[in-house]
Amino acid sequence: MSGIRFENVSKRFGGVTAVDDLSLEIGSGEFVSILGPSGCGKTTLLRMLAGLERPTGGTISIGDRVVNELAPAQRNIAMVFQTYALYPHMTVAGNIEYPLRKRRVAKDERVRRVREAAAVLELEALLDRKPRELSGGQQQRVALGRALVRDPAVFLLDEPLSNLDAKLRTHMRAELIRLHRRIGRTMVYVTHDQLEAMTMSQRIAVLRDGRLQQFAPPRDIYARPGNDFVAGFIGTPSMNFLDGRLKGTGSGRTFRSGDLSLPLGMLPLTDEMPEPDRRVRLGIRPEHIHFDRQGEPARVNLVEPTGHETILVFDYRGNELVARMDGDIAIEAGDTVKLAFRAEKMRLFAAADGRRLNDDSTA
Amino acid sequence: MSTPARIARRFLFNVLAWAVVLVIAFPLLWMLLTSVKPSSELFVIPPRLLPGEITFEHYRRLLTETPFLTYLRNSAWLAAGTTLVVISIATLGAHSLVRFSYPGRERLARLVLFTYLLPSVVLIIPLYLLMAGLGLANTLTSLIIAYTTFALPYALWLLRSFMKAIPDDLESAALVDGANRMQAFVDVILPQALPGIISTAMFTAILAWNEYFYALVLVNNDAARPLTTGVINMLVTSFNIEWSLLMAASVMMSLPLIVVFAFLQRYLTRGFSAGAIKG
Repeated sequence: MSGIRFENVSKRFGGVTAVDDLSLEIGSGEFVSILGPSGCGKTTLLRMLAGLERPTGGTISIGDRVVNELAPAQRNIAMVFQTYALYPHMTVAGNIEYPLRKRRVAKDERVRRVREAAAVLELEALLDRKPRELSGGQQQRVALGRALVRDPAVFLLDEPLSNLDAKLRTHMRAELIRLHRRIGRTMVYVTHDQLEAMTMSQRIAVLRDGRLQQFAPPRDIYARPGNDFVAGFIGTPSMNFLDGRLKGTGSGRTFRSGDLSLPLGMLPLTDEMPEPDRRVRLGIRPEHIHFDRQGEPARVNLVEPTGHETILVFDYRGNELVARMDGDIAIEAGDTVKLAFRAEKMRLFAAADGRRLNDDSTA
Repeated sequence: MSTPARIARRFLFNVLAWAVVLVIAFPLLWMLLTSVKPSSELFVIPPRLLPGEITFEHYRRLLTETPFLTYLRNSAWLAAGTTLVVISIATLGAHSLVRFSYPGRERLARLVLFTYLLPSVVLIIPLYLLMAGLGLANTLTSLIIAYTTFALPYALWLLRSFMKAIPDDLESAALVDGANRMQAFVDVILPQALPGIISTAMFTAILAWNEYFYALVLVNNDAARPLTTGVINMLVTSFNIEWSLLMAASVMMSLPLIVVFAFLQRYLTRGFSAGAIKG
């Protein structure tokens, strides 16, 4: 079938490395998101897969074929572009039909398949319109139709929802998931929107500066981030970090930051620390912070009620700390409260390389 | 709201605009009127704007007694040939300058612009020697090649700015959809660039139609003379200027351009604005 394999793939533009020695294996029929901040190389990765950019090093395979030397037309892929890239001088029907014409599909067959694709995407009434006469959502569906009509082995989607308004985006997200379920084709979805990646994908590849940070199912990405970048990138509001040092050993281990000291005895670590005074970052998600009479004092700097929850920004011994609390909480800026962290939800990262230090079993 | 002031301003603006139009249009009007005046009315004092009697005698003479039609045909061939050559090369060249990445691409584009800095007078002697060496002296072909040397850089630069406005994704989409490079170019890029191509073609045709200097130097027999040099050569001599015929010839020379302008004006204005955008 049509899985995808990147092996040590690199791409350099002049002196700039866009993708750096990346290896990734995507299963056949899987929905995978490539997620990262802008400029992380995710679109370049997709364009290399499509054959629109040539990798500087490494091999890319689709199914059993190495496709490095194949033109886009020979790769049996379809792609939806962020700008939709509809052909402005062709009608909707002409746009959807184009890939079939280029593959010399017979006229009757073409008409039938265009009609089928149009039916799936509810475009029947628009077939004779030109792209500029369509709304953004309709254009988006035409772009999908053009990809769908050919029944390719792999779908590549480059931020296809980013030009839609919020409501339509939510709707199209659900549509895409349904579409994937129905056709069961491999889909590679590039996005900078963690919500899209989290809700739609079976697995997410997080990229930063052209390097793969982690490749795992959404739940693991959130609960077991591989390093402090992934931890900070996924989740809104993002994870809080406290910089400090690790003291003691075994169950007597503590995290020290200034005059703050937190016991870490119940947090098993992946490796034994050789140095006793290791520099670490402690990560705690906003929803894992709670009020506790035995906790550390913190001053409320900002209260942001959103209705179903309240986002609180604290001054916690000189660190800014963001917490997510109940929507009906009665608290005001300037109040001083006592806070504690859910110990088993704390994550510990090495300050040097950002690697997560606590064991997976505590997730 | 000072309505009277606004009316006054608008009035003033209109007067000014019409004054400019008059200044520009008057010679053309004079040319047209002179071409239908009997020769006897040409030099009357005081000069009369409107002809006392309208005659098409000068046109008849021009078409039957002179090689005007040969010149016209030559000019038409020149304009068409130059446009065809220039547009074919410039369209592909501009596409390459915009879409392909290769070392020295930007430098090449700038070098094209640099050719403008050379006055054509400097090139004309080498070009003449080149044509003579190739055995092309006194042919329309030599003029097409010569016109291409100055029309092509201009067309390249103009088309480049048009092509730049076409999104990269369109071509990428065509490639993914199963087209090869050439098909993507023909199916997707060309239709998008068509307005730009039309306006560039018009500029090129006008350039070739109006060119005088190269034609004067490179061609000196009637069989290959275009209108510009042909008409002057035949009607303006050291002893006499055939004003009536000259004006009739001028009217007929301008006519094709005016017709083309009338039909393709909107493309032309787009060309002006595209050229204004920094490439």
